[in-house]
Amino acid sequence: MNEIAHTEGEVFHTEDMTLSVGPQHPSTHGVLRFVVRTDGEVIRKAIPDVGYLHRSIEKIGEKVTWHGYVPYTDRADYLAAMFANQGFCMAAEKLGSIEVVRRGEFCRAIACELNRIASHLISVGTFGQDIGAITPFLHALRERETINNLMEEICGARLTYNYIRIGGVGYDITREICDHITEFLDHFELIVDEFNRLLSYNKIFIERLANVAVITKEDALQYNIVGPNLRACGIKWDIRRDIPYSVYPELEFEVPVGTGEKGTLGDSYDRYMVRIREMQESCRILRQCLKMMPQGPAIAKVPRKFKPPAGEFYARVEAPRGDMGFYVISDGSEYPYRVRIRTGSFTAMSLVEKISHGIMMADLIALIASLDVDAPEIDR
Amino acid sequence: MSALTEYVKNITETVTTIFEGMAITFSHLMRQPMTIQYPDRIPKPVQETLPLRYRGILEVDMDICTGCLACERVCPITCITIGIEMNKETKQRDFSHFDIDICKCMYCGLCAEACPTGSIRHSQEFEGACYDPAGLVRHFVTEPVPLYKPKKGGETEPKMVAKVEVGLKYLDEFATPDKVGGAEEG
Amino acid sequence: MQSFVDQLIRDGYFQGTPKELVYAVAMLLAAFAVLSFFVAPLAGITSWLERRVWARMQSRVGPNRVGPQGILQWLADGIKNLLKEDLIPAAADRHLFAFAPYVVFVGFLATFVVIPFGSQLVVADLNIGILYILAVTSLVVVGILMAGWSSNNKWSLLGGMRSAAQIVSYEIPAGLAVLTIIFVSGTMSLQGIIQAQGWAPWDWYLFYNPFTFAVFFLYFTAALAEGNRTPFDIPEAESELVAGYVTEYSGMRFLFFFFAEWGNLYVIGAVATTLFLGGWQIPPITDQPVLKGILQFTVFFVKSYLWVFVAMWVRATLPRVRVDQLMSLCWKYMVPLSFICLLGTAVWMVIWPQGNRPVSMAMFVVGLVILALFLKRVGYQIRYARPTLYFKPHI
Repeated sequence: MNEIAHTEGEVFHTEDMTLSVGPQHPSTHGVLRFVVRTDGEVIRKAIPDVGYLHRSIEKIGEKVTWHGYVPYTDRADYLAAMFANQGFCMAAEKLGSIEVVRRGEFCRAIACELNRIASHLISVGTFGQDIGAITPFLHALRERETINNLMEEICGARLTYNYIRIGGVGYDITREICDHITEFLDHFELIVDEFNRLLSYNKIFIERLANVAVITKEDALQYNIVGPNLRACGIKWDIRRDIPYSVYPELEFEVPVGTGEKGTLGDSYDRYMVRIREMQESCRILRQCLKMMPQGPAIAKVPRKFKPPAGEFYARVEAPRGDMGFYVISDGSEYPYRVRIRTGSFTAMSLVEKISHGIMMADLIALIASLDVDAPEIDR
Repeated sequence: MSALTEYVKNITETVTTIFEGMAITFSHLMRQPMTIQYPDRIPKPVQETLPLRYRGILEVDMDICTGCLACERVCPITCITIGIEMNKETKQRDFSHFDIDICKCMYCGLCAEACPTGSIRHSQEFEGACYDPAGLVRHFVTEPVPLYKPKKGGETEPKMVAKVEVGLKYLDEFATPDKVGGAEEG
Repeated sequence: MQSFVDQLIRDGYFQGTPKELVYAVAMLLAAFAVLSFFVAPLAGITSWLERRVWARMQSRVGPNRVGPQGILQWLADGIKNLLKEDLIPAAADRHLFAFAPYVVFVGFLATFVVIPFGSQLVVADLNIGILYILAVTSLVVVGILMAGWSSNNKWSLLGGMRSAAQIVSYEIPAGLAVLTIIFVSGTMSLQGIIQAQGWAPWDWYLFYNPFTFAVFFLYFTAALAEGNRTPFDIPEAESELVAGYVTEYSGMRFLFFFFAEWGNLYVIGAVATTLFLGGWQIPPITDQPVLKGILQFTVFFVKSYLWVFVAMWVRATLPRVRVDQLMSLCWKYMVPLSFICLLGTAVWMVIWPQGNRPVSMAMFVVGLVILALFLKRVGYQIRYARPTLYFKPHI
């Protein structure tokens, strides 16, 4: 209860209001719920309540074969399915001592970067929509449709790909597909500029996001935030650069870091701009991969009944929502013993309670959207 | 004085960015929309435009299925059920049932990759909705069908040649350790 | 219209009935005619047009199946909403809940009485016309607060409170803008304001002096804020408060609020046209009353619908402002600027009581230059990025 002393001796008692944002809400990304205690517009406390989308993907890993688990990893974060595929396959390859063929590595990088662009398009599009700008969302989705068409040509599916297999990739990327990708890149780089002019540089948008929900460097490190959220706070940490895997050591790309250009360092606008810049960097990476791709088979020889020797390994990939980690334990049989998936969205949720003190209701929505949390990733 | 310049700057920035944004949306008004008005206002059916690799609803060509049960074993969600029985009269093995539950299917393609002849494959069909759940289980064997025995030296019977070729063409799309990619042009 | 009814009585049509009764029935019939033959289809077509315009701005096609080009979509929506279950939450205040949509509806509908569609086509030419409009549109606040409170829902309450603050605040810049025009025209009657302007663009009040040019944009922004349109649609902010003050409403009650919103768009356009764009003024081509009436009606309708289109266009483009930014925008930016424009116009009228034609012509040229710059920018956007590569290589 709050007390407002009005005149001498007269005190008005006001009460805080407890609201539930979600689980059915147009702008919590997926099925999430926040229990929010507010005093009018200003939030006192916002506690996330997760678990609405729990599907026991980790437990399922103990019941299916190694090859058979890869389609399930798609569903751990369906907007960034390639990365989950890659994480699990990297762990399995390390356990089974399988060397991935070179052409397969390049195909993986191409598919992953395309998927990164698609995921970031959804992220910035829904961000704009939560702030009220309905048009950029549709424009972002239009571009993502083109990427979906490309993925359909590559592996036959538009969302849950099951493309990256143990030892390489499932389908080869033909010359024709490479030409289509180049055509798309030539067109997409201009579209990102147009998107920026429509949304990113809009004064109303900047005013909504600058200095809102600032995450300081110390908070980010203490709460173990990863991915674009961490880079927006000024910390230059990217798994592709710092714990390199696949072909990333040979590629030239920048790691975009937030600079506090329109407000404080680590505010929502920084998190948004880092994603836009990452899309542009992904275009660069794609062009290099397309040029450098060698000839050769696209998948290594892996036994049908894959039985890696006993051991454990933790594989990390730089997914669009952060560092996705696959901790896999094998006991020598044809089923994994334990699969543990660590996702960036889950740790980002833990930060919401701390940051949400004193911000307004509309800013809570901006905060959730800027963290780019994804319910399937949180609950698995 | 700096407060006044800040004030004026705010106003001019707002006006110019709004102007720019409205120019962009107005320009979109002048462009073609990208909607494909499925299913009736399109030049040809979507099924004909999908690539060969498209992972639609599963179909089985029973004439070239050898009954190896590789697809049933590799499926991660056990949506394929195959029954093989000994036929007393011809002393050969027949299929008694081959059911695929398409609502369980994950459309992952592992069964199509495991098939030696390419008889089980993903079709371009994606419109599988029906009014009762029983319709979601596809039965590919209505009466007992003998297993296919691939002949050494290739298939000779003309009717079967076409089917075998379709199956092999589908299998060709998958990456294998021997297939060298990018060789056509480098 | 009163003269028309008096004429009928003098011709002996209504023998034996008291004059007041004839007047009352005539008023009701006129209101019914305006409501069902003009306002209802107008609001409906506006909703269809809004969806089509948004869709084309978003690279997609809007509703185009129901009727030719989807023009009967609003009928389908209306019938669907009529057929829905009338749900009033158990803990809600029944009578207020049912009454609120009607209050909002009356708030916008009552303005049609004074809107002049032609020199003879106005229901009642009140000599306090514009003041009446400002007063009646404030009734919407009462309706929204009733809706927010009676829903017995915290979300609705938040939406209602925000909306009340917003509408009441933005009355000030809107009122000041209107006051500027009243200074220039000398009368509050809408017909009088139109007659004081001319048919040529440089005779419109929009280009009268730089202050009225600026005050037009202030008026338009304030009117959008009063109509709860983006960028000021916080009360019904879909992504934040589910649906704000209309969360608990369903069926026809829900549609009434949106009916009022779309209709209000037209009122905004009509008032903007009347005050700034010369209303129904046409060049003196013909003297025949029927043809003149039709031409004037068309000109007025086209001019006011243009602003409806601009409001839809703005909603498609801009994000929403936060509620405290909305307040600071109103009180720190719009109110001071409106005062400056008001004082500037007052000083202008002291120096040039009959207006300054060369300056009006120069302002008209400035307006054309801005329009040309805009179109040039649009051309640049079209040339720069070719988004028709939506890349379905097969179809």
